[in-house]
Amino acid sequence: MIRILEGNHAVSEAVRLARVQVISAYPITPQTHIVETLSEYCADGKMNARFLCVESEHSAMGAAIAAAMGGARTFTATSSHGLAYMHELLHWSTGARLPIVMAEVNRAMGPGWNIWTDQTDSLSQRDTGWIQLYCEDGQEVLDTTVSAFRLAETVNLPVMIVLDAFYLSHTFEPVDVPEQGSVDRFLPPFSPRFAMDTENPANFGELVPPGLYMEMRRNIQLAMESVPGCFSAIEEEFFFQFGRRYGPVECWMCDDAEVIMVVSGTITGTCRQVVGDLRGRGEKAGLMKIKMFRPFPAREIRNAFNPNQKLAVVDRNFSFGAGGIFAQELKAVLYQAPDRPRVFEYIAGLGGRDVTPKTLETIYRMTKEQDTPKMESVWIDLNVVDEGI
Amino acid sequence: MKHREGVPDIDYLYPGHLACPGCGAAIAMKFALKALGPKTMVVLPASCWGIIAGAYPQTGLKVPVMHTAFATAGAAASGLRAALDIKGDTETTVLAWAGDGGTFDIGFQSLSGAAERGEDFIYACYDNEAYMNTGVQRSSSTPYGMRTATTPGTSWKRTRKKNIVEALAAHRIPYAATASIAYPEDMIRKFVRARSVKGGVRFIHILASCPAGWRIPSESAVKVTRLAVLSNLFPLYEVKDGLHYTLNMEGNRPVRPYIRMQGRFSHLTEEEIERIQEMVDSDWALLKEKANCKQISIK
Amino acid sequence: MYEQAMSKIPLLISRSKISTEGHKTGEWRFVTPSFKEKTAPCRATCPVGEDIPRIGMIASRGLIKEAWETIMAENPFPCVCGHVCFHPCETACNRAFLDESVAVHHLERMIGEAGISEGFSASVLKTPSNGKRVAVVGSGPSGLSAAYFLSMLGFSCDLFESKDQPGGILRWGIPAYRLPEWVLQNEILRVEHMGVRIHCNTRITPERIGEIMDNYSALFMGYGHGRSVTMGIPGEEMAADGLDFLLEIRRGNLPAMDGIAAVIGGGNAAIDVSRSLIRLGAKPLIIYRRSLADMPAFSKEVNAALDEGVQIMETAVPVRIEEEDGNLMLRLQKMRAIGKDPEGRSRVVPDDSAPINLCVQHVFTAIGAQSDGILNPKEEGNDRAIPLSHSMFTLSKIPVIYGGDLTNAKRSVSDAIASGKQAAMAIDTYFHHGFDAIRERLNVSRVGDRDPLSMAIYLETDRASRSPKVISYSDINTDYFSNTPRHIPQTIPMLRGELSFMVKEPVFSLKEGVGEASRCFHCGICNDCDNCRIFCPDISVSCVENGRRINLDYCKGCGICVAECPSGVMELEEEQP
Repeated sequence: MIRILEGNHAVSEAVRLARVQVISAYPITPQTHIVETLSEYCADGKMNARFLCVESEHSAMGAAIAAAMGGARTFTATSSHGLAYMHELLHWSTGARLPIVMAEVNRAMGPGWNIWTDQTDSLSQRDTGWIQLYCEDGQEVLDTTVSAFRLAETVNLPVMIVLDAFYLSHTFEPVDVPEQGSVDRFLPPFSPRFAMDTENPANFGELVPPGLYMEMRRNIQLAMESVPGCFSAIEEEFFFQFGRRYGPVECWMCDDAEVIMVVSGTITGTCRQVVGDLRGRGEKAGLMKIKMFRPFPAREIRNAFNPNQKLAVVDRNFSFGAGGIFAQELKAVLYQAPDRPRVFEYIAGLGGRDVTPKTLETIYRMTKEQDTPKMESVWIDLNVVDEGI
Repeated sequence: MKHREGVPDIDYLYPGHLACPGCGAAIAMKFALKALGPKTMVVLPASCWGIIAGAYPQTGLKVPVMHTAFATAGAAASGLRAALDIKGDTETTVLAWAGDGGTFDIGFQSLSGAAERGEDFIYACYDNEAYMNTGVQRSSSTPYGMRTATTPGTSWKRTRKKNIVEALAAHRIPYAATASIAYPEDMIRKFVRARSVKGGVRFIHILASCPAGWRIPSESAVKVTRLAVLSNLFPLYEVKDGLHYTLNMEGNRPVRPYIRMQGRFSHLTEEEIERIQEMVDSDWALLKEKANCKQISIK
Repeated sequence: MYEQAMSKIPLLISRSKISTEGHKTGEWRFVTPSFKEKTAPCRATCPVGEDIPRIGMIASRGLIKEAWETIMAENPFPCVCGHVCFHPCETACNRAFLDESVAVHHLERMIGEAGISEGFSASVLKTPSNGKRVAVVGSGPSGLSAAYFLSMLGFSCDLFESKDQPGGILRWGIPAYRLPEWVLQNEILRVEHMGVRIHCNTRITPERIGEIMDNYSALFMGYGHGRSVTMGIPGEEMAADGLDFLLEIRRGNLPAMDGIAAVIGGGNAAIDVSRSLIRLGAKPLIIYRRSLADMPAFSKEVNAALDEGVQIMETAVPVRIEEEDGNLMLRLQKMRAIGKDPEGRSRVVPDDSAPINLCVQHVFTAIGAQSDGILNPKEEGNDRAIPLSHSMFTLSKIPVIYGGDLTNAKRSVSDAIASGKQAAMAIDTYFHHGFDAIRERLNVSRVGDRDPLSMAIYLETDRASRSPKVISYSDINTDYFSNTPRHIPQTIPMLRGELSFMVKEPVFSLKEGVGEASRCFHCGICNDCDNCRIFCPDISVSCVENGRRINLDYCKGCGICVAECPSGVMELEEEQP
């Protein structure tokens, strides 16, 4: 059934359909609508779940971890500082191999306080072992959230569904909300591979000596390495059931492109229009959308380009002292390829600044006109400011 | 062979666990699980017990345990309880088991949140009055007069120990109590009571000595906690619904022998001990007033 | 596909199900606790070596029959001793350091009376017959005890008594207000129930000894001191013999008396005579050569006598008795102390004053008794003799053992019982292990390296392995004992003229007795309080029969079990490298 939903509510609908059993959450703009809706669903019986209004994000994840240890399908949502506050427990949930699903609404980190979109919050968590899936629109948010439970429970790793603040979280779009029955067929009840059980007592998460810690870390990586394959298999089923799929990366008009715009999140939608317009004008433009940031889909990316192409990576994030984070990751996976395209790096839209078709076309032009990428990221549309104020 | 009434026979600790010799925290857990039995799940934040419970692939407990991050005992117990509830398991008791650091300090917010929400679990704090696992640094449970690695030399701690039971009672939780490892029947009775009470977090504050940190011979580990009770320095009492106080016993000994038997207080002068005595006396008077205690009920 | 995918995903997490028992924390230990029962001071002081802490422990649980049987293992006369023993146990009691000593004496009497009223039988303690016969001469406390313990050890006993009823000093020497007839009757009957044949009116003369030696495997001589010592002063024939007087009273001859009755002597007999006299209407005056503090009589008895109105004249010695106007004129010489004798009593000599004349109506002598002398061990000259603490073992044709007052330094009922027990052990050892083994076997049967002998230790019964170390007050964890006053059975207020030959001190009620037994520290013995097991942080103490076992695989040697043992049973030793 097609409904007009804001991005946050697409998450809520997916969580309802996934028959999540425990939700723990703490309010933070712009994530709040997700859990408000879910608390209503729990209150009025649309969901048979326990909703824990905890006193902090740290506790939200702490409770989620324990609920997953108890064998319940578990969900939480957060954003920005909330995610940073959870940081310790993101590591914990991965180490404990718990299939927790979390919606993370990209928001800038303070100070100065800024509630608008920026990917630096989620990308700062890239080493915590969470699977990260970035979404372009409301439909993708819903579909990805439903699939995320399948994926998390298959590989025993937590999954973060990432959506842009306001541009996606608060933007209403038509979303096809599937029937409960079809979701049930796609997503069976959670059957944990381990859980707290008084009949079969075990001690979870205890002291591990150096002689075994490394093996356990390696084991997490092995699970991570299976993720792109598992995700594709799950999407195959999803496609069979619902007729939609996204892939870890999506290439559009890339085969003969001279300049390929590499984007993620809501910038993708804008970029589709820009690339379409450029193609209409005879420009050999292409688009690559990176949906899966962790694990970074190296094989899919290496196979997507030819050495003569130029890649223009648009990062709505920044790693101080380095550069745009998607660009770094991309360069890293391409470095080991025998022939590799040139990577041009652009920083745009931080703190919710609008990334317009004009911005993206500027990036396209700059890339097309240069032969060699600059060493540093290029910051787009910077205003002149008086630092003396 | 006669066994003690009020002390169930079965233990849920395995020998071979990693507690130091004479560990009061190990005794505390032993009593708690004797009371709660096999249908118990333990939530264990970072603390001495994080080590005592054993190293992979061994476990020191016969009940399920989940280790959790330092600050999260209250939240984790809430989450586990939620999972059990939603799966229809109302029989199992969730026991959050934290040290004083994990309760008074870093875990206080999480505990307070759970207490305010009225979560259904038992929270036990085994209090050894400092961060013992990391080498005896002060916590907000460290008492006046104690020397620790972070209150060293002449900078021994000059602030009072946080009154955690009062803080929890202020949340109007259905049941809060103190216990000492020197009184097994009393502690076990309180855990049994805590298991049966519903309608919120049940909080039990256990004085559990640490021979290394308190600088006492290991064999005195039980005796020292008894003296704490007998000198009213650590009174045994219960608070129902945050309002109704029951004092379990009244001590009649001065604090001096308790203080003097411990190396952690060895630097204190007689005047400073007298000051501690005054604090204990006024705290006890205040407690008695709260209990509106015309008679002490000994249970 | 989903399940397939799941099964392939690696999942190695810190999830542990193996117990820590594989981790032998005992390796950390440098001191080792052990469970070792020890000796209580009361028991080490009790002439008969009664297991008083165990009796206290059992009685505190209300198990009166078991408590009684525990006494009977060491002493055939709980009720007699509950009335007449001078209870040195109470003086030794560690509890006195906390508040007051445990009223062992009252407890024993309560248990003893229960044994009679409930008809408990001691025959469970009997071992099978060994086919040997022993003759016992004299049915006083030593002879009865020898016969009782010999029966317990499987001997068949014939006990010969010259008088018409058995009991010796118990019957003829102790007044009924101290030891009622029914108590004696019942406790002697129980000895007979052990299989002892008592032959009364059978005087063993030296001539019959040979006959006995032909028919018996061993002979115990416990005929005691039946003949009073004389003063050797002019007019002595006008004085009555105190022991004869007591005997007449026990026979039921209670003449009304009046006037002043002088009683010469300072021992228990003098007190008994005086207290009997006051009951018959006379005004007794004890005349003793030394000071009050030197009197050999039990101080409790002396105090009771003073309470009842008996007068005592110290440091005076009769030198002559004359008749004058139907009264007796007693001439007394006052004495003065000049230092101490080897036993610590004052040495006295006549002072310089002139003799005093005292007009009295009666004079009784009670200055001691001596043997009738059938056989005197000291005159035998047999070098096959072993002088023991409470008896003398000699070997002629058959073993002949002398005991009771014939050999005892201290002439108390308890010491007489100890003597009979020692003789029984010596005879038993002789037949099982030979003459040379006697000293050693008796030596190892001692309680706490002191004189008392324990039959339980001799028989190596369950509690025999106790360490001889005597528990002192500092070994007790007094945290487990709160100040509790000693229970005192309510004494009926005494009024002049109400004195009778009935025992006036009431016995404990069961509740009082159990309450009093609960005051016992149970020094050195395990009372199953379970502290060691309950407090062990390492789950390394378990219950086994007769105590606790420490699992040294895991015990870290913290010592809590030792510190928390209320009674000093657990001990800590440094680990041997």
